Amino acid sequence: MRILIVEDDIDLQTSLSEILREAGYAIDVSGDGIEGLYFGEEFPLDLAIIDLGLPGMSGLELIRKLRERECKFPILILTARSEWQDKVEGLESGADDYLTKPFHPEELKARVGALLRRSAGHAQPVIELGSLKIDLVSQRVFNGEQEVDLTTYEYKVFEYLLMHPDEVVTKTVLSEHIYEEDADHDSNVIEVFVGRLRRKIDPQSNTNPIETLRGRGYRLNRQPQPA
Amino acid sequence: MTVSLGLVGFALDSAFKRSSEAGLRARMESLVYLVLAATEVSDDGALVVDDDLGDPRLGQPGSGIYAILRGARTQWSSPSTLGVKLPQTAQIRPGESDFKTSIPEYGFYAFRYGVSWKLTGDRMLPVTVTVLVDPLEIQQELKAFRTGLWRNLGVTGFIMVLAQMVLLTFGLKPLRNITRDISGIESGKLERLEDSYPKELEPLKRNLNHLLDTEKANQTRYRHALDSLAHSLKTPLSVIRSSLYSDSSSKVEVMENAVIDMQHLITTRLQRAAVSTRRSIAPAVDVKTQVDRLIQSLMRVHSQKLINPDVRIEQGLAFYGEQRDLLELTGNLLDNACKYGHGKLRFSAHSIDAEKPRVGIHVQVEDNGPGISEHEQEQLLQRGVRGDERVEGHGLGLAIVLEIVNAYNGEITIKKSDLGGACIGVSLVTV
Repeated sequence: MRILIVEDDIDLQTSLSEILREAGYAIDVSGDGIEGLYFGEEFPLDLAIIDLGLPGMSGLELIRKLRERECKFPILILTARSEWQDKVEGLESGADDYLTKPFHPEELKARVGALLRRSAGHAQPVIELGSLKIDLVSQRVFNGEQEVDLTTYEYKVFEYLLMHPDEVVTKTVLSEHIYEEDADHDSNVIEVFVGRLRRKIDPQSNTNPIETLRGRGYRLNRQPQPA
Repeated sequence: MTVSLGLVGFALDSAFKRSSEAGLRARMESLVYLVLAATEVSDDGALVVDDDLGDPRLGQPGSGIYAILRGARTQWSSPSTLGVKLPQTAQIRPGESDFKTSIPEYGFYAFRYGVSWKLTGDRMLPVTVTVLVDPLEIQQELKAFRTGLWRNLGVTGFIMVLAQMVLLTFGLKPLRNITRDISGIESGKLERLEDSYPKELEPLKRNLNHLLDTEKANQTRYRHALDSLAHSLKTPLSVIRSSLYSDSSSKVEVMENAVIDMQHLITTRLQRAAVSTRRSIAPAVDVKTQVDRLIQSLMRVHSQKLINPDVRIEQGLAFYGEQRDLLELTGNLLDNACKYGHGKLRFSAHSIDAEKPRVGIHVQVEDNGPGISEHEQEQLLQRGVRGDERVEGHGLGLAIVLEIVNAYNGEITIKKSDLGGACIGVSLVTV
């Protein structure tokens, strides 16, 4: 999942990106509203974290502009003001949740996770897929009682597919949402990840939750398909 | 005022001039008829005028009124023209007449009248009668009028200005007194407005005094808040300082706890001080609009919970306090209800006194959560306990609610709701 952070305080920007990278997200950062708007329009984002006090263009204005331009990803407001007046204004401008500074890293991760799940239509943090149980908070996957051991990138691929169930996801889209802007995109690597992921979550190849659509991409089926 | 008097003067002046000129024209016209009545024309076209012209001035040289008759070949001038240099006047066609207010160079008023004299054998002789009047007469008349007019207007204007000054001096005296008293307050000599003012100014005095009192109260509150914040920050600061160079293994944990304490102190103290600043002259805030905004926002934030709000607000209910306080209070109550409830939420609000909407409002928020036990209620509602010592039951939210309720001399009650969870009722007094 790819997240844009628009924050002008360099220290906070760095620590936010560290916390979220560690949690397995691909991060883009911007220090002002005008660049933030450009990134928001141009990058395939899954979520944006926007500070309200930004140089160039205020956070509220940025959110309004993003919504005007049909950017539908969830937006989390970061603000030092904890009064309802400000919270309501932020949410009315088109944001989905707010987080007041200073905040605990766990709180940030929980809010980001909840927003991503909500936008994918999952109310609960645990998703069941056949005999598989995926805990999106602890980022662990279970097959029955047995925990499935996934690498970071395997999990990222799986998570992205889970957030877009029953949709065709191309290899390019997958790599765009998993890697950051300056990373080296290699679609062959995605193939390798998907292959390993399949073997791990479905060792006997009987449920086949991730379907390959030749020349188009992958699709995660919520209803098991015959092998 | 003076300007309009001047304008009136000019209008009267020109009206008078116009009417005296019209009078003159009428007089000149009748002179023309007099002259014509005394005129005979012989068959060869010679003009014969009777000596008795009916107006003695025509026979008196230099009298200021002159008549000239002009036929085809002959011309007759009244005896008054003797020795007077008159302008040449041309003939005009029979049946026409004209009036000139002044002929350049000579300055005479001139009235010409063209007639056609019937001679024997159907011959017609065109004759023009011209009457000239020296402008001196009318100018004197005008001058006399003007002198009178401007003298009278001047006296009136002077009296009016004087009256205005007297009125302003006495009428605005109370305002000057207030200004003086306010500068007294600014310089610290006075605390509030004590003088008695005319009853029209009493509401102003009341409001100003109220404003001053609130300002002072706010100032005191801020000072106290900052004071206690500064004091209470010293403890965690000294903890951090002493842990900085210690080798204790729990160093990080100790310091983190101190930081959390500081964070908590800053939020609670400052927010409370800011929230409870009441404004004295507040416009009406529509309760429904604000509550709807909050519920829209909260449903967005808690969208995974499928919140089902039941909002019952008295028709047209208005809150005569700070909009920010209303948002803060209802925001915290509703947020708690969303957080701790299981989707059901009821918001009701009505005015304390239906007859007097300015008295205040009563707000009630209910949910279907676990509710608040009696023991917790006691802890939450204990008064006289300093903010930081008060147990933060429902998070920081309820503590802020309490601050606002105190600032508005209101009351808070915690009950069990028929929805199953907590029912928190709050009254805010705005008078």
